[in-house]
Amino acid sequence: MAENQPVNKHRMTSELSPFAARLRAAIKSGFPAEDFGPRALSLFALQFEANPVYQRLCRARGLTPDRVTDWMQIPAVPTSAFKELELSCIPPSGRTAVFHSSGTTEQKPSRHFHCPESLAVYETSLWQWFAQCMGIRGPMIFLTPPSAAVPRSSLIHMFDCVRSKLTLPESSFVGSLTADGSWAIDFPAVIRQLQLACDSQQPVTLLGTAFSFVHLLDHLAENYLRFNLPAGSRVMETGGYKNRSRTMPKAELHTLISDRLGVPAQHIICEYGMSELSSQAYDVMKSDESPATGEPSLHPSSLIPHPFHFPPWARVQIVSPETGGEVADGQTGMIRIFDLANVFSVAAIQTEDLGVRCGDGFELIGRAEHAEPRGCSLMTLESGPV
Amino acid sequence: MNLPNYFLADLPPEATLSPMMVSEACQALKRNREKYVAQRTTEQQIRLLSNLADEWQDDSSPFRQMALEQGPAQTGFSRATIARGLDGFFRQLTRENLQALLVQDLGEVRRLDELVPVPGQSANHAALALAPEFMAHIAAGNLPNPTLMSMVLGVLTRSAQFVKCASGTSFLPRLFAHSLYESDPKLGACLEVAEWRGGSVELEDALFTESDCVTATGSDEALAAIRSRVPQQVRFLGYGHRVSFAYVAGDALPSRIRAKQVAARAAEDVTAWNQLGCLSPHVIYVQNTGIVTVEGFAEMLAEELEKREATEPRGELPHETAAAIATRRGFYEVRAAHAPGETRHWCSQNSTAWTVIYESDPLFQMSCLNRFVYVKVVPDVKAMLESADAVRGKVSTVGLAAEGDKAPEIALQLARWGVLRICPLGQMQNPPLTWRHDGRPALGDLMTFADWEK
Repeated sequence: MAENQPVNKHRMTSELSPFAARLRAAIKSGFPAEDFGPRALSLFALQFEANPVYQRLCRARGLTPDRVTDWMQIPAVPTSAFKELELSCIPPSGRTAVFHSSGTTEQKPSRHFHCPESLAVYETSLWQWFAQCMGIRGPMIFLTPPSAAVPRSSLIHMFDCVRSKLTLPESSFVGSLTADGSWAIDFPAVIRQLQLACDSQQPVTLLGTAFSFVHLLDHLAENYLRFNLPAGSRVMETGGYKNRSRTMPKAELHTLISDRLGVPAQHIICEYGMSELSSQAYDVMKSDESPATGEPSLHPSSLIPHPFHFPPWARVQIVSPETGGEVADGQTGMIRIFDLANVFSVAAIQTEDLGVRCGDGFELIGRAEHAEPRGCSLMTLESGPV
Repeated sequence: MNLPNYFLADLPPEATLSPMMVSEACQALKRNREKYVAQRTTEQQIRLLSNLADEWQDDSSPFRQMALEQGPAQTGFSRATIARGLDGFFRQLTRENLQALLVQDLGEVRRLDELVPVPGQSANHAALALAPEFMAHIAAGNLPNPTLMSMVLGVLTRSAQFVKCASGTSFLPRLFAHSLYESDPKLGACLEVAEWRGGSVELEDALFTESDCVTATGSDEALAAIRSRVPQQVRFLGYGHRVSFAYVAGDALPSRIRAKQVAARAAEDVTAWNQLGCLSPHVIYVQNTGIVTVEGFAEMLAEELEKREATEPRGELPHETAAAIATRRGFYEVRAAHAPGETRHWCSQNSTAWTVIYESDPLFQMSCLNRFVYVKVVPDVKAMLESADAVRGKVSTVGLAAEGDKAPEIALQLARWGVLRICPLGQMQNPPLTWRHDGRPALGDLMTFADWEK
């Protein structure tokens, strides 16, 4: 087998790399919908060759590239596989970064390996869609520790990319990592920035996890503080509570945010992402905005829940847990994502989360907190071609 | 047939209960008991219960019909599953078994009626068993059987009873209560069935204040919370979280035909009440010394579960529950692809109806239930018990398939380790009326004894 490996490596870099480069170009120039199917099938064939763990799963299912003719048939890997195995087309020597999942019910986190090329795709994908969905509304206040403190967080890496793209000196991370591994917020720093925004009437964007917002809002409440942030300010909240704060329904969290920070509901945007993906979904309704002023037009649909949408290079299927097939519009099922930006790992990801199909988007019902089988014996890890 | 609005659980869902309503209901129950039922004999109650049990097994019984017709929509279990589960329960409720229960727990059939001699003691020693005047039962949801049994015991002892069901789970207990009321309205007047969300502190405190005995079934946390609120002088019987599993000895698999029979028995236990009871097996441990391999046995079990899906379907599940099964299946599919010698999986097609996971790793795994069962390899009983160490002290039943001459030694090993009930594989969800719930005498624990040394 050893004599094959230099050939494999050569093949991998000679085929996945151009795919990645072409994808980045397509993302930047407005990815046409009809491109998705052919690209997905090409990527499937490449990943089948370059990712031995994935190949074994596909063979076990009898779904190999020669037999798959539609992108919807491409075998999806459960997120739990990222915990047990190394699902990567990147040989160990080529891996320069890894993102870990952050749930607390797990024994082992998911591990998604990256190299400079895969991070380039990641960053192109995230920036393109972030800019379109969130827009740029003045300085960004990230309620998380900086990436140097938590290098394995894909969310924080995303924030770091956004910050470096904006080149605005006022954007900052106001969180820190405490000794026990939890995330703390520098409240005086946040408050200063919020005050500055109000004084200068310059809109800001606050970004963080749901639990970070709970911490911030609790602090404001305890100190009898309230801000009326300037029009155009935005909030992006993501992830769950993960036992790091008390939980509350989304509507309640958003009401509290509107109360304490003066950001109206239609400017509170939810993000759905995970360490196993390279693209993210947002529940913003772009038609909210009047193109001329960029200000929200208050029409009734802004008050109903918005579906999440991934970018055009990532497609979602809501599948029935019973049949594995896609559910009808309006029906509930499990969220499966085909993310082309996952060039160097696996594009087809089966999550444990429940959603309702809404056209080509989805409403998020819940992020799973299923108990994983405990104390399992470790499997022999696949190390991939060297 | 329409059920009259007689019990609190018959009220429409919008009707709210107040602590005052609960207290008044309890006081009425006690008055009625004093007036109508306290002077009855054990013999009368035995007759009533065994007649009622016969009725419930009769196809023409309107209560049975209603249970089977409306049960699936109300409980999620298929009609066939409900029929099997209820029949199994009522089949046990005979005169002979009720007398055996009285003898086992109280020493004498007439113990509740008179000061009668205590067996094995001198003729100068007699005792009378005194039952609680008023019992409150905090029932858990999954299966009706434990709740029905509590009600049966209360009828036997002529106690007034208040059965509090978890939200959405009162249908079958309520039906049983109505059948009691119809066969004996005065007895029905000593019984209340209500449904409210667990932890409704004010309602429950009103209930506990009126009781002299409280029984509760539920999670360990729920029990701890209830126990802390039950007044000191009130007797508290708590039945907490328990798991069960099965053991198939190698000598029970001497041929394919015999192995299939054993697999069929295992399938009975996995399908009964959709595996949701504390007596249902999470894991079938199989000794690897049989003629049929453990993997072969697992495949046979899959075939049996598939057969049963046709005659006794699992039924539909809420999205979250089905998703949990699908997720767990995905996990094992990945494992099986990578270590096919160590992990194998069989799944019902196009549904989550049943799943068998074969693992050479014997470590005990909690199942996600609803007919999802592990088959694991062990060299012997000792190794099995080591692998199950994480649940030691929390085990209810082990279903056993072993040749006759080996069974006593295995049973002793299991009992010493802490298994509280050993029974034949296939009978796990069919405990006899005399079953000691969590190792305790269900009837005996309710009693207080008055002794007369003549």
